[in-house]
Amino acid sequence: MDRRTVAGGIAFAAALVLPLVLPTFFIVLLIEIAVVALFATAFNLLMGFGGMVSFGHAAYFALGAYAAALLAKKAGWPMLAALGAAPVVAALGALLFGFFIVRLTQTYFAMLSLAFGQIVYTIIFKWTGLTGGDNGLLNVWPPEALRTPAAYYYFTLAVVGTSLLALHAIVNSPFGYALKAIRENPRRARFIGVNVRRHQLYAFVLSGFFSGVAGGVFAFHNGSVFPDFAFFNKSFEPLVVVLLGGVQSFYGPLAGSLGFKLLEWLISKWAPIYWPLFLGAVIIAVILLLPQGFVGLLERRTWWTRPAAR
Amino acid sequence: MDFITSLFPWITNGPLILVQVMSGLSVGMFLFLVSVGMSLIFGVTRIVNLAHGSFYMVSAYFMVTLIEVLPERFVSFWVALLLAPIGVAILGGVIEMTLLRRIYHRDPLMQLILTFGLILVIGTLVLLVWGPDNKSVPRPEALAGSIRVFGQPFPSYYLLVLGLAPVVAVGLWLVFYRTRWGMLIRAATVDREMLGALGVDVSKLFTQVFMFGSWLAGLGGALAAPTVAVALGMDGDVLITAFVVVVIGGLGSFAGSLISALMVGEIQSFGILIFPAVSIVLLFAIMAVVLIVRPWGLLGHPEE
Amino acid sequence: MRPGPRSILAGILVSILIGMTPAVDYAHAQAKPIRIGEINSYSGVATVFTFPYKEGLALATKEINDAGGVLGRPLEFIHRDDKLKPDEAVKAARELVLQEKVDFLAGCITSAVGLAISAYAKDAKVLYFATHCQTSRLTWDDGHRYVAHTTNNVNQYVRVMAKKAAALPYKKWAHISPDYEYGHNLWEEFWAYLKHLKPDVQVVQQNWPKLGETDHSSYITAMLQSGTEAIFSGLWGSQEINFMKQARPFGLFEKIPLVSPAVGTPDELDPLGKEAPVGAITTTFPWYDEGTLKRHPKLDAWNKKYSEWAKSRCNVKDPQPKLGASWGYASVYIIAEAMKRAKSADQDKVIAVLSEGFEMEFPWGKVIMRGCDMQALPPQWAGVVKMKDGKPFVADIEESHGKDIVKSCDEVKELRAAAAAKQKK
Repeated sequence: MDRRTVAGGIAFAAALVLPLVLPTFFIVLLIEIAVVALFATAFNLLMGFGGMVSFGHAAYFALGAYAAALLAKKAGWPMLAALGAAPVVAALGALLFGFFIVRLTQTYFAMLSLAFGQIVYTIIFKWTGLTGGDNGLLNVWPPEALRTPAAYYYFTLAVVGTSLLALHAIVNSPFGYALKAIRENPRRARFIGVNVRRHQLYAFVLSGFFSGVAGGVFAFHNGSVFPDFAFFNKSFEPLVVVLLGGVQSFYGPLAGSLGFKLLEWLISKWAPIYWPLFLGAVIIAVILLLPQGFVGLLERRTWWTRPAAR
Repeated sequence: MDFITSLFPWITNGPLILVQVMSGLSVGMFLFLVSVGMSLIFGVTRIVNLAHGSFYMVSAYFMVTLIEVLPERFVSFWVALLLAPIGVAILGGVIEMTLLRRIYHRDPLMQLILTFGLILVIGTLVLLVWGPDNKSVPRPEALAGSIRVFGQPFPSYYLLVLGLAPVVAVGLWLVFYRTRWGMLIRAATVDREMLGALGVDVSKLFTQVFMFGSWLAGLGGALAAPTVAVALGMDGDVLITAFVVVVIGGLGSFAGSLISALMVGEIQSFGILIFPAVSIVLLFAIMAVVLIVRPWGLLGHPEE
Repeated sequence: MRPGPRSILAGILVSILIGMTPAVDYAHAQAKPIRIGEINSYSGVATVFTFPYKEGLALATKEINDAGGVLGRPLEFIHRDDKLKPDEAVKAARELVLQEKVDFLAGCITSAVGLAISAYAKDAKVLYFATHCQTSRLTWDDGHRYVAHTTNNVNQYVRVMAKKAAALPYKKWAHISPDYEYGHNLWEEFWAYLKHLKPDVQVVQQNWPKLGETDHSSYITAMLQSGTEAIFSGLWGSQEINFMKQARPFGLFEKIPLVSPAVGTPDELDPLGKEAPVGAITTTFPWYDEGTLKRHPKLDAWNKKYSEWAKSRCNVKDPQPKLGASWGYASVYIIAEAMKRAKSADQDKVIAVLSEGFEMEFPWGKVIMRGCDMQALPPQWAGVVKMKDGKPFVADIEESHGKDIVKSCDEVKELRAAAAAKQKK
């Protein structure tokens, strides 16, 4: 049995058992880690596997969160239905914006995605009648059965786990390989018959879809949604998580989100004024010193790998 | 005709429109100073320096301290105006040499992200050094009042900006097109590898360009300081607008930054009167349209 | 000689007894503290308000604990930073309730954060004392049994402004307010009350710059053209400073009188210095004013005590008493008083006491905790900006009381019913 599957199995078993031993607050923290992990993995589908860095991805997270909240609160939909519709709305947004964004590359790709992200933020902020404006939408709670942190935790685990499995399948499918080929060398990919634009657009939409899932799950966990879910600062969260964990690894964002959220909690508790300083310093340090992130670091350690045949 | 005048009662008011145009130009000039620095840095080093807004802010804070420290004399404002941007240029040089130089060979997006990290670090340092209180730089006595333009009041301080900025613009043009250093910069914008192959010390050039760009941002911040509250959050506000200006004008294009900055200044000035509800979205929408239709901006060069 | 088994047993018993006695004393001396989770913005731009507030809170806590605490137990505040984000505030509230097991929640500076914590408090059934944010929705439209407001709300100070505005001979008004919920709330409340007091007023121009706008020149020239006789400004903080600095060379305030609730606060007046709008009608905390000091003889001593305290701490650079400091101070005493009257720290008993209401005397006057909505009604001061030796200050202080001006209990009931009906739709 491959060591990765074993490690994965242990992690999964631990995840199942933890709520029984951990104090309630840590369960809440784990839910948030799971949400960020999914958002970051969806983001990494674009960045690590597609080679496209989006600076406005928080828009799709926010679209998912607001869709779920609005459907549940104003249209009276049951939570599961709202959660099902949320990623579809996010994916539609991704389709609309992505159509324009994927026609650009690199820096311009990032900038246009940022522009669209800010447009989404401004619309949410100003359309007070629909979205509650800067006060957000409050009292968006899950049904009674899922109200306790432990119950919602298992629910999150199920949703996030399934989404991660789906993303894993996508990354390892022929589509995923085509995407990696495009990342490495778009011209060559085009020569072997891959429709670069269409693949990139599909990747963008899929990434938006799963970002919407993360957003929807978070909406019910938090009990409220706010416009700053779409602000560009929030777009940098999955980016930092992916950098910390490792860009080219599928599990990188998982590790990164664990580390990031724990650090955030600790520092905000002891010295909140220093949090932005710390975050900035970490970003700089990771880019300068650890281009492969922490998981990348682990994967490179020679005593983990079997010696290559000489 | 009546419909238009009822909707925009100021439209027949010639002097008012003139004053609005002039205000728009002044705002545009502040933006130009910040944006041209960002555009220049990108043109030569291919880094989008997100910390540019932070340089603007640090320069304004330097003005606060310099004015507090210098004796209260007529000349002290001008001395501060001279020194603050230099301080920021030095800061920029230090950052370039210690951090940015190590990542030129990396993916440009990584460089961009690193500059984002700088925003967070510099922002917190400003809070730690100067504290959270709002600060203010008073306008110099000679320019504190207003003059009459066809009967409409117009702040005298903006005359300084309107007068200084073309001087700066012409000065920049002379530097870029009439000096050897400027020629090197233009060459680096087009093909830096070739420049290196020709024996030019490219890394020193990069440092100089970064410092020069930072100096320009600092000049913008120092000039703007008497017209705004010097407070935390200044960096984000100016960054977003400068970013839009640079994208629309074309990253790396000096003339593009100028035209785009003036245009954005006017849009902000009139946009408020015409479409108050959507003026924020308007700028981002224009930026998006430019990126879609002509990503390299109005006067930029398509990248290979 | 080796000790026998019986003596060993005796020895063990004696040791245990000896070991227990300090524990018994310990239990008496160290009563379990009453813990209050306080969530506010302690990083970034809001610190100009929250740091003095925190010092006022700390001073009051120290005084109460030095005097024996509440019900014999020390009061302990556990602070968390919400980074100005409502979802961070909810997360912090969760942590405080579930992990730290606090007895009550407190805090907030922005309305969005306050409302978010209030929604969580309602769900978690933990009493929440809103201590610094101002929206009236907290205890009115969105009020419920688990939220109390320990400082004045928007309605109070905006109505005082409207009352002073009604006394002016002007009929045509223009305003400039930040385009977000608080800005709209502020303007609507001001205008509604002004129109109620003086029905022949009319709005000639509305200006809604975005929150945090840096360049207001277009709004300024527009106002100069509008033919307005007076201006209301709902701007605050660095945005209002921007506005004032930019308006000055246009001579806006020399031509047109200004009413601005926020400009009288030191965080705006001090940086403005010579550029402050002399003659503007505003609200303030007049700790320096002779008339106020005469009316409230204990205020001078409190000012000195606070300044000494602030100087000895490292958080605030300016030891002058600030309005936020008075709120922090008052909030702690109100919370303590509620528990004292309930003779318990139990949620329901404290809520019952708050629902009946009570009054407290502070160095600056009487604060009434109104029972029907658990809303505090403190004194309110309004005045006019004047300049002396190049430094602006607020003079001609008029003192009034919240109880005489805010919406009545019946009006609050109507507001809550209307909000509930909107929810159901």
